[in-house]
Formats: sequence, C-alpha cells, structure tokens
Amino acid sequence: MATDLTLPIDGADDPDELGARAADGAATVDLGGRPERSRGFDEPTGLRRVGRYGLLAAVVAIVVFPIYTTLIAALKPGDKVFDNPLVPDAFTLDVIRAAWTAGNLDRYLINSLIVATIVTVCQLVTSVLAAYAFAILRFPGRTLIFFLFTATLLVPAEAIMVVNRDTVDSLGWLNTFQGLSVPFLATAFGIFLLRQVFLTLPRDLLDAAAIDGVGHFGFMRHVAVPLVRPTLGALALFSFLGTWNQYLWPNLVITEQDMNTVQSGLRILQASIANEPNLVMAGTVIAALPIFIALLVFQRQLVRGLTAGAVKG
Amino acid sequence: MTPTRRSRVDVAQSVRTLFTRTAVLVLAGVVAGACSSGESILTIGQEDAVSTTTAAVAPPSTDASGSTIAPTSTVAPTTTQAPLAEFGDCPVEALDGADGPVGITFWHGLGNDLENALIALTDEYNASQDRVVVDLQNQTSYDSAIDKYIQSSQDGRPNVIQFPEYTLQSFAQSGTLIPVEACIQASGYDTAPFLDRALDAYTFEGIGWAMPFNVSNPVLYYNRKVFEAAGLDPDDPPITLEELRAASQAIVDSGAATYGWVVDSGANSGGGWFLEQWFGRAGELYADNGNGRVAPATRVLYDDSTGVELLTFVQQMIADGLAVSVGDNSGGTDAFLKVADPVAPGAMTIGTSAAMGLVFSALGGGLIPGLTAEDVGVGPMPGPGEEIGAQVGGGSLWIVGEKGDEETAAAWDFIQFLVSAESQSEWAAATGYVPVRSDSVDIEPLASTYATDPRYKVPYDQLLTSVEGEASLSPVIGPQREVRVATANAVAAIFDGADVATSLADAAAQSNALIASYNQRN
Amino acid sequence: MSGPMADDATDTDGRRSGRRRWAELPLAMAMLAPAAVILGVFVVYPLARAMWLGQQRCDNFGNDCVSNGIEQYVDVFRSVEFQNALGVTLQFAAITVPFGVILGVGLAVLADKYLRGIGAFRAVFSSTVATSVAVASLMWLFLLQPSVGVLANVSWFSELFPTVKDPGWLQDPSTALWAVAASSVWANLGFTFILVTAGLQGIPRDLHEAAAVDGAGGIRRFWSITVPMLGPTLLFVMIVTVTRAFQAYGEIDLLTGGGPQPDNPTTTIPYFIYGQNSPIRNDVGLQAATAVLLFLLLLGISALQLVGVGRRVHYGD
Repeated sequence: MATDLTLPIDGADDPDELGARAADGAATVDLGGRPERSRGFDEPTGLRRVGRYGLLAAVVAIVVFPIYTTLIAALKPGDKVFDNPLVPDAFTLDVIRAAWTAGNLDRYLINSLIVATIVTVCQLVTSVLAAYAFAILRFPGRTLIFFLFTATLLVPAEAIMVVNRDTVDSLGWLNTFQGLSVPFLATAFGIFLLRQVFLTLPRDLLDAAAIDGVGHFGFMRHVAVPLVRPTLGALALFSFLGTWNQYLWPNLVITEQDMNTVQSGLRILQASIANEPNLVMAGTVIAALPIFIALLVFQRQLVRGLTAGAVKG
Repeated sequence: MTPTRRSRVDVAQSVRTLFTRTAVLVLAGVVAGACSSGESILTIGQEDAVSTTTAAVAPPSTDASGSTIAPTSTVAPTTTQAPLAEFGDCPVEALDGADGPVGITFWHGLGNDLENALIALTDEYNASQDRVVVDLQNQTSYDSAIDKYIQSSQDGRPNVIQFPEYTLQSFAQSGTLIPVEACIQASGYDTAPFLDRALDAYTFEGIGWAMPFNVSNPVLYYNRKVFEAAGLDPDDPPITLEELRAASQAIVDSGAATYGWVVDSGANSGGGWFLEQWFGRAGELYADNGNGRVAPATRVLYDDSTGVELLTFVQQMIADGLAVSVGDNSGGTDAFLKVADPVAPGAMTIGTSAAMGLVFSALGGGLIPGLTAEDVGVGPMPGPGEEIGAQVGGGSLWIVGEKGDEETAAAWDFIQFLVSAESQSEWAAATGYVPVRSDSVDIEPLASTYATDPRYKVPYDQLLTSVEGEASLSPVIGPQREVRVATANAVAAIFDGADVATSLADAAAQSNALIASYNQRN
Repeated sequence: MSGPMADDATDTDGRRSGRRRWAELPLAMAMLAPAAVILGVFVVYPLARAMWLGQQRCDNFGNDCVSNGIEQYVDVFRSVEFQNALGVTLQFAAITVPFGVILGVGLAVLADKYLRGIGAFRAVFSSTVATSVAVASLMWLFLLQPSVGVLANVSWFSELFPTVKDPGWLQDPSTALWAVAASSVWANLGFTFILVTAGLQGIPRDLHEAAAVDGAGGIRRFWSITVPMLGPTLLFVMIVTVTRAFQAYGEIDLLTGGGPQPDNPTTTIPYFIYGQNSPIRNDVGLQAATAVLLFLLLLGISALQLVGVGRRVHYGD
C-alpha cells in the first residue's frame, strides 16, 4: 500500500527540484499559471476561445451572484433596499459603519482573531512535537499509538461538544479565550500531515546531527522545522481558517455578549434580517472581508494546505 | 533472534479489515433497524408511558350546544403547599452591609428596540445608585437563554434571568431559583398596585415564583387603508370570529387585498400560543387540573370539540381563500411581512403586542414603500365568544439561588426598580408591553402615550376586561415548549388541509406522552 | 558521544535491539504528552462519556439519571424522529455530494486551459473557500427570503418561479432541503475547485496529447484519462464532502430552523441534537445517544468509502 505517489509536478522536470518540492508532502497548485509544456495543445483559438471565455464569464456570474447582491444591499440605505436588488443605485457607507458599531462586530472580530491565533499556534506546537516523535524517534508501540492518535479524526465534533461544554464549564472557562480554544489545541490531522513530511527528511541529516552531538531538540529547532516550513504554513492557515469559521462551539460556550466570535455574532444579526436586511448584509460583508483578504495574500499556502491530504493517496 | 518487524503494509491491511467489518456491521444495523419502530423518541425508557395519574379533575362533559362545561374539581382547590422557606431565603438586608458595589448579571432574550429599552432602563438603574452594578447580557432569544441556563452549572448562571411565561412549571420545579415571593414577604413589598392577573400568572402550587415584567398578549394588526378601501370602518376592527370572517370576505370581495387574514403555525404564535389564548377566551380548559394551576397537569384537553371547532374555522377560511398561512414563522415576522407584501397582501394578522414598537419603527423607517406607521391599526385579538379578553403572556424575572446573600439582595433591589411604577411607565411607553401595575398608567410618559396613541392601550384594556374563570390564567404544563411544538405541527398540517380531529388527536397523544415523560423524570 | 542516533544499534530491519529500544521512550512520551492530553481530555473522554450517558434518561437538568442499558440506543435509532433525521441527512448528502463533486470538476476542467487572465477566473471560482458556513448561509438567506429577499423582489424571476415568493423556497417543504443544499454546495465550491485543479495539474499533459494524436476527442479523453487520474483527489473530495454533509448544522440553523413544520424536512442529525426546536434539546441522555449513533454512522460510511471506492482508485502512473 505504501506506494508513494510520484507526480510530475507542474512545470518541473528537474529531479532536484522534484525532491525539494516533494519534501513538503503536498502538491503545489498554480492558480494563476499555465501548464507550461503543452501550450499549443491547451490553448483554444478563435471561436473556441471566445466560447470558452463566454462560458467562463457566465459561470462567474452565477458563482459570484450571492456575493454581488450582498455587497449591493450592504451599501444601500435602508429605505431603498427592495428597490433594485440587482442594480446598485444608491451608495452609502453608513450601513456598514452602523453594523460595525451597533452590531459590535469590531469586538467580535478581535475575539475571533485571538482565538484563531491561540489555536493555530498551539496546534502547530503540539503537532510538530508529536509528529517528530512519530517520525524520527523510535520506541516500541510507535505504530499502534500513531494509529490511536489518527483514530481520533473519526470522531465528529458534534458528538463530543456537549460533554466538552461541561468540562469547560467545570474548569470555569466559559466566556473565556481558554474555553473557546482549549478543545482544539491539538489535532490528529496536523500530526498526520507533519509526520508525513518529517518522514521524507533524509536519514543522513539525522546521522550528521548525531555525529555533531546535537540533541533531538536542537535538531528539531534548527534543521527539521525550517525544512518543513511550507507545510507548517499550510497547516497554520488551515487551522486558522477552521477556527475562524467555527459556529457551534462558540454558541455553546459563550453567554456574555462581549466574548462572542464573529460567527456567533452573525447569528445574533440574523434575527434582524426581516426589518433591517441591509444591516445584516453589511455585517456579513464585514465578517467575510478579513478572510477574503487573507485568501488573496496567502493564496499559495491556502492551496497547499487544502491539497495536502488530497493528491497523495 | 530479532522478530521481523511488522511492515506498514500489514498494519494497513488490518486497518482495511477493521474498516470492512465495521462497514458490514453498520449496514447490518441499518437493515435491522430499518423498519422504524414508529415510536417517538421521547417515550424511550418509560415503563408505562400513559400512567394512571391521580386525576384531580373529572373529564369535561359537554352540554347540548357543544361547548364543554368545566366540571367542579374533585380535589381541594389548592394543593398541599410546601412552606415557602423550603425554597430558599431572600436576605433582603444583606445589601446594607456590603462594602462596595455588588455586581450582578442579568440574562434576557429580547432584541431590537425591546433590547434598547431594556438597556436604557438598566443604565438608568446603574446611574441612580451605587450599591448595585448590573451587567446586562443578551442571550439572543428566550430559547437560547433557557438552553444556556439549563446547560450551565450554578456558577455559570446569572443572578437575574428573564424567562417566558411558558416555562413556569419546569423552572419552579428545578430547585435552582428562589421564589420572588420569598423576597416580597421578607421585605414587606406592597403588591397592591399590581395587576392580580399578572402576579397569578406566575404562581405555581401556591407560590409566586417570578415577578411579571414584560406582559404581552396577542392583538390584531391590520392595514387601515385596506379597511377603508373595502368599505370597513378602520376604527372598528372585528372582535368575534364571525366578524373576522365577514371582514375578510368584504376585503377579498372588494379587491382591496388578496387575503383578509394572515395566519401562521409557529409554536409561540399561531400554532401554540394563540390557541391557548383562544381557549382562555372561550372559557375552556386547555389542560387538566385547572390548566395545571390547581395541580400539575397530566394531560392536554385541546383535542375536544372546542379545539376542533376553532381549527376547522381557520381551515375553512384558508380553503375559501379568505385567509392565508405563512408557515411556521421561524423568523418571527413572516406574518407581518405578508401584510406588507406588495403583490398579494393580507389585510390583518394576529401578533404579539410586544411587536408594536418594532412594527411602527420599521414602517417609520421606510422599510415598506407606501406604508407608514399611521396606516397600521391595532385592535383586540379576535376570538371565540363575544367579549374580548386575553391571558397574560410575555416574560418575567426570576432570581437565581445559591449566589450568596449580597448578590441575592442586589438582585431583589434591581427587580424592584424594574417593576416600580415609573419604570413600568417608561417601559410600556417605549415598547408596547402592558405595565404590570395599574398606577403606572397615570404616570408620564405612559399617560401621554395612552392619550395620544390609543393603540398602545389595546393590550392593557384587553387584559383588564378578561372574564374571570378557571381558564383566565394560561395553561401551565411541564414540558410546555415541547407541547407547543407538537401542537404547532398539527396546526401546520391542518392549515395544509389535513383532517382536524385526527391531527389534533395525534398532537394531544404526543403532548400527553411528553407530559407523562416529564412528570416521571422530574 | 550522545546524540539522537548515537546509541542506534540497528539490525537489518532498522529495528533497535535490546535495551536500546526503550532509550528514546521517555523523550517520545514527553513530546507526545501535550497532544495526548488534549486529545484524551477533549476527544476520547467525551466520546466515552457520551457512550455512557447515551443509555441513561435524566431530568431536564441532567440529574436523577436512570440507566436503561444498550436497548436505549436501539430505541433511539428506531424512533420516528431519528429515522426522519437520518433520512434527511442521507438525502442531504445525496444532493450535496454529487452536485458538489460534479460542479467542482466541471469548473476545474472549464478553467484548465491556457487563456489570458485565467488566473482571475480561477481566483473567483476559489473565492467561496473564504466564506464560512454562517456567512454563506446569510448570503443565501438574503437571496431566498420570501418577502425581503433578492430573488423574490426581482419581478421577472418571481413570475417565472412563483413559489420563491409564496411561500418561499425555504418555507415550502418540497424545496426547503434543496435550497439549503444549494447554499451548502455553493459554499464548498471553492474548496472542491482548488482540490480538483490541483489534481488536474498533476495529470501529465503528454497523456492527453498522445490520446489526441490517436484521435480521441475531448469527452473521450475526459472519461478515459482525466477521471481515472483524478482518482485519489476525487476520493478525498468525496470523503470531505460526505463528512461535511453529515455535520451540517449552521446552514440549517440560519436558513430554516429545522424545516417547515410539521415534517421537518431539513432537520439533519446534528440539528436534531442541538437545534432550537429539537424535542431532545434538554435531554442529555437522548442527545448523547444520538451523538454516538452519528459517530458510528460516520465511521461506517468512511469505511465504506475507503473500502468500496478506494479499491478502484488508480495510484501511481
């Protein structure tokens, strides 16, 4: 079963490059690029080109439609909301400003940011430590214990949230950042991912470090971790995004309004959709904007993170 | 001799086998259980779900005209009342000895302008004295507040919490709250100006558990312009069911609106609460044991001829095109929006009086082009019988126990402020809630509000003129929320055209099972 | 000299012998400890406790619990409400998974050409990966709301589809689940698109070129080359989409609140456990039993997928 999947990575025939890229254990996807080698073959011309552009444009229109209408509503003053949902006629930033303050979204964004950061950092730390142990160290029962760790991936979050809430409550951590983050400080997914990447590190590196008298921690800090930086970046983004988007857990754990995260804040806003729909949409825009920007900036890492488990079998 | 290491392939192999076997097991389980047992999940673990309870009231008998007569109780009217002291002390003096302001938390479930009014009141309280500081926490909705309360440990619970009226029994029996009556008696608080109805509404087994705070009841909202266009008098809205039907007929015939009456089947509106209110107006019992007020209810009675008549009436109006249903109204405003619909509007709808402020301000903000706040008429709830009347609805304030003397005293101090005459006057004027005490009506700002905009006075008048009787207080049922949901399901089916008697009987059976399950476990 | 591998007396299998085996154990335990503690306390323990709770019935506040044994699990499974939720969940998965995969593959193939500005198109297609469940659901609520919603207020659309306004696609029992599924598919589109694009870029172009030279048209090449080579990617996409379908909660909470009464056609199993109108909402025992059943269900389905579909997945070249 352990057939490693060797894919010709996009655009590279060079074996050194291949090795370097394979070290991060994930495919790189060029969202903006072109398949270099077969330009002629894949490049439609003439009518087919126009047709392809047309089709793409039509699909874009459909995919973007909900975002488009949301933006329009968020920028319209209250009395014009039903006039022309498809055409932006009036334009004002007042609604967004109102959602920001009255909807308390500034507070919620900060809360989400803090929780997501805590979870991301801790997931990275615990995953690196555990993955290192599984990949580099040798001890009896290693495979079995790894299997047990991975088995936790099978437990859906919904099944355990009620009990987790009680645990957090008895620790006195309701309405705190600790309470919001502690169940997610370690994840078998991160351990799995990093272990795979650590396994690709050449043994010679380890032996060289041993000869130099560098202990495990030193090796980890100075050699192993820097080498797997791309995967760490991917995992970080994946964790951040996952925590930012959590909906059920904050709803369970928060009873003080000020500690709400952005997603549970949206739920509060939803109650007003019938009498102030543009306010709700403005809140949605505010909630979604940070992640859209993050996606643009960290495009490469995001894609790497999402594809990490996919292409390899 | 070193043993050969189990290769990765073997581990993978055993993982595969494990998965295969699990898959087969799950499939087998699915096949085995595929035939649904047909039983409700709630009856699991019940020995005999339909238990023979100590029936305190004989089944109602019907007279010739078809309406039921409330029979005389076969048990003494008041149950054996446990001494008040058993439920916790209210050390009202403790606040005097406190050094420094005592901080307490208050959970509520209001939104929009109702929340704003509550924030204003709380800020006023905090600013007016320095012994208590109140931290207001919005739990988004009543249901959310209830859930959070139940799930929290006692430490995580607030000092004061607002619960809706349909949770009386379950929280009275929870053992986690101190009856407000303990504080009233300990401090000698004068409840004479209070509306008796309001205080009685929150009395369970002889003890006053909660302080009524935001009292509401259903009222009729209607479009005055449509009434005029249909030749109806906009100052004389329909009061009886016959008038309701006649008005709807006139409206539809004249073409002033597409439908006369907009109904919904939400659990806390058309599918549950309004039905309870109609039974009250008809003088009929909704649940046994005197609507659960004489002794804890053991079963519901709404599948009798009254219930069938009422819902058949509504179903008939829908079938005749005079009324339209907007579904379960999960957003809370679907019925109102149907009245404001530009294409196929309705003319009237029954809604809670608590929504008055929201309706007026939303229309005043220009939400619906062509419709202003002045175009909305508010009248008493139409229903069975000739006289108007309604039961107390809305929410109340509860004091959470085991919080320490100072915090308990602080909670009581805050509650006193919220139900003072001035506060209730402000509150009612800002929101459309009914003031819980009659002396608030003569104080500003409510006096002016009632004088200038009599629409705000409708729910108040409706409450005062209600006929006294066994059904004048709303039903108290242990699992009342769940019972309302079961009833709402039946009402939704009825609005879709299902047979009324069967649907009601099914809902009643489900409700009785819920009640039995609750009584067994609590 | 001490060091990571200094004491590594390995035999031919790489396995360490004698007392060397245990040398790194303390260090390993120390490094595994943080993750082990978190996973143990917040994953393993709750699951075990839920299994125990699941055979009890308690009062509204979680006290005075009575044990009913393993039969309670069977009874919960066979109850009307659970079977309804199970049916809805399976239906939901049956809609979102095929549509999600097909649309994702379709978009990826559409954008898999050398064209000027193709990057912008790809960026747009992947943009929904940035929307959370709450954001996407609110956007779609605004679209589908029968009175204030967008689609209801676009006159030509509401004339073409009168049910979008009366009673509204979220309020009509026959369309409610489809509407929720549409929102979910849309939200997952970006994610699926990125994954499939990655997979497509891993297929060697010479395969396609060679087949084209041999006279195979676009569609033929798609089914004979693209789809098989996308095997591992599609498997992963399917597993993720199915898991998400079984964990659908936020969409339902924000869009329908469990579905138009009385049939509750949008109450999935997670919503049945935690939702606002759920009959078991304050019943800890029944909630736990349903949660454990959900876990077993997902376990079985993952197993089925890996075993059934995984066999046919083509690895390597």
